Amino acid sequence: MTAATPEPAIQVTDVTKRYGGILAVDRVSLTAAAGEVFGFLGPNGAGKSTIVKLVLGLASATSGNIQVLGRPAGSLEVRARIGYLPETFRFHEWLTAAQLLQFHARLARVPARRRAGRTAELLDLVGLGARANERLSTFSKGMMQRVGLAQALIGDPQLVILDEPTSALDPIGRREVRDLIRGLRRQGVTVFLNSHLLSEVERVCDRVAIINRGRVVAQGALSELLETQEVDVRAGPGAAEAARRALSAEAAASAGAAAASGEDAGRSGEAAAHDVQVTADGRLRIRAASDAQVAAVVRRLVEAGVPVYDVRPVGDSLEDLFVRVAETGDA
Amino acid sequence: MSAHLIAGFTLREAFQRRIVLAAALLTVGFLALFGLGVWLGYRDLQSDPTTSPEVAASLIGVLLAGGLWSLNFIASMLAIFLSVGSLSGELDQGTLHAIAARPVRRSEIVLGKFAGFTLMLAVFIGVSASAMIVTVAVITGRLVATSWLAPPLMLAASMTLVGLAMAGSSRIGTLANGVMVFTLFSTALVAGVLEQVAVLLDNALLFDIGVFSGVVLPTRALWSMASAQLSDGGAFTEVQAGTTGALIAPSGWTLLVGALHLAVTLGIALRAFGRRDF
Ligand SMILES: Nc1ncnc2c1ncn2[C@@H]1O[C@H](COP(=O)(O)OP(=O)(O)O)[C@@H](O)[C@H]1O
Ligand SMILES: [Mg+2]
Repeated sequence: MTAATPEPAIQVTDVTKRYGGILAVDRVSLTAAAGEVFGFLGPNGAGKSTIVKLVLGLASATSGNIQVLGRPAGSLEVRARIGYLPETFRFHEWLTAAQLLQFHARLARVPARRRAGRTAELLDLVGLGARANERLSTFSKGMMQRVGLAQALIGDPQLVILDEPTSALDPIGRREVRDLIRGLRRQGVTVFLNSHLLSEVERVCDRVAIINRGRVVAQGALSELLETQEVDVRAGPGAAEAARRALSAEAAASAGAAAASGEDAGRSGEAAAHDVQVTADGRLRIRAASDAQVAAVVRRLVEAGVPVYDVRPVGDSLEDLFVRVAETGDA
Repeated sequence: MSAHLIAGFTLREAFQRRIVLAAALLTVGFLALFGLGVWLGYRDLQSDPTTSPEVAASLIGVLLAGGLWSLNFIASMLAIFLSVGSLSGELDQGTLHAIAARPVRRSEIVLGKFAGFTLMLAVFIGVSASAMIVTVAVITGRLVATSWLAPPLMLAASMTLVGLAMAGSSRIGTLANGVMVFTLFSTALVAGVLEQVAVLLDNALLFDIGVFSGVVLPTRALWSMASAQLSDGGAFTEVQAGTTGALIAPSGWTLLVGALHLAVTLGIALRAFGRRDF
């Protein structure tokens, strides 16, 4: 479905952002296709919000290029087609919920005749229909975040950027937001979802990028990322070397195959260099792109005359991937 | 173009904030007192056979200048409090993020806010200063025609404060900016007094310091110009000027300096805020 759309909703190419001495974003490239729900996952301080601000033109990149809906990031035409829920979701508290939405409807250039209707609709959608005319100063954090979500949708955007949209919500609220995101996808709206919550991303996103310390360490379809296998191998001397060679050969082979089938070959190809680590107790920690790769590496080890005593899976969920990323800075 | 939306929003916000309410209440009470004072004072002066009608009117002119001076001070405070956190403060609170992500130019945010503050101050100064002038005119039956130039000049004085505060707010936090603006504001006041003293003592250095302060922040100089409009050149001009205005009325250059000052401060605000990362 997404393949039919020629231009990606967001195309970030080799972007770096420094705040004084702090390197917030380090040569990040990522692509969110039109119509998909893209999850941007990473621990606190990883650089997620920074990327979002760069995409919106709220901050300017130190270097690199960002195209949004086919135009340079930050251009007014593009902004008119984006909805954004900021991480802080702070709004002027002297406004009522309805007034906030009406104001944003005007800013988003919603035609006058549609403003009132859209406002009522969206407040109902986020469960605040009954409190439309109450001041935001009387709202709880969760209600504020809900009103922020409605605000993000007021301009009937083509692209919705949500920065940690459920941080103040209870489990029921989180589920409602997931349903809302799925609803947007059904309407063909692209959603860019920043989150440090795996469950959130795991359940609604088509594709995911994982960022840590300003660098994207993994990116791809969720199913693809979850296929990544990590195994713990106890083997004879020379195993590390042989395993590295085997992995490179396998990666090259699958990259060739992927290129032939027209898919993105970058991920499997570039990952090979650091996919074999020697743990403290002398075991090998091998990461492979798939079960088939694990099998192939073991076969090559044996063929190279390295005895293999024991192969154990280390984990295979997004959570494992995420924790690994957060701990080591490496996927 | 969305600058008018930002301006309207700023105006609405100003009305929502307690400071405007406080200023309005203060002013209403103040106007009532002023009216009463003028009425009683003028009645006493009239019943005193030794005071000529001209002298009585001039004395009332001094009262008017004093009243407007207080009003100008309230307007200055209002101008500072409204705008001192208008950019940085909102950025820090995060209330500007969703707005700035809309199809709105940064310059429209700065200019829209400036326009909103200006309109707010124009209404405030326009209504209350006119009320004072009319009060005096009705009670005394005399009106110095140039008095009507005083409110626009007072507005200009407040606008330079808004410009200064917004320039600061585009770069530094609310607290630091508040300190900066108040320091300059009081320095200009003190320097204004120095300038008057300089005239009395015929001291050139002091006078230059006063003039220089008028360039750094022309608020006080613009007020002196406003105050000078209230005088019809009668006997008590000097009394009036000594208490609230200038012994020598600032020249027309003051207006030019005011305009340039505003252009520079707004230019700084536009430039700095345009580049600022959220
Ligand atoms: N305005 C800023 N000034 C200085 N440093 C910043 C600023 N914004 C973010 N950073 C720094 O950039 C890094 C990434 O922050 P952020 O993008 O907010 O992370 P995340 O959203 O993933 O939690 C952090 O180290 C943070 O301290
Ligand atoms: Mg963040």
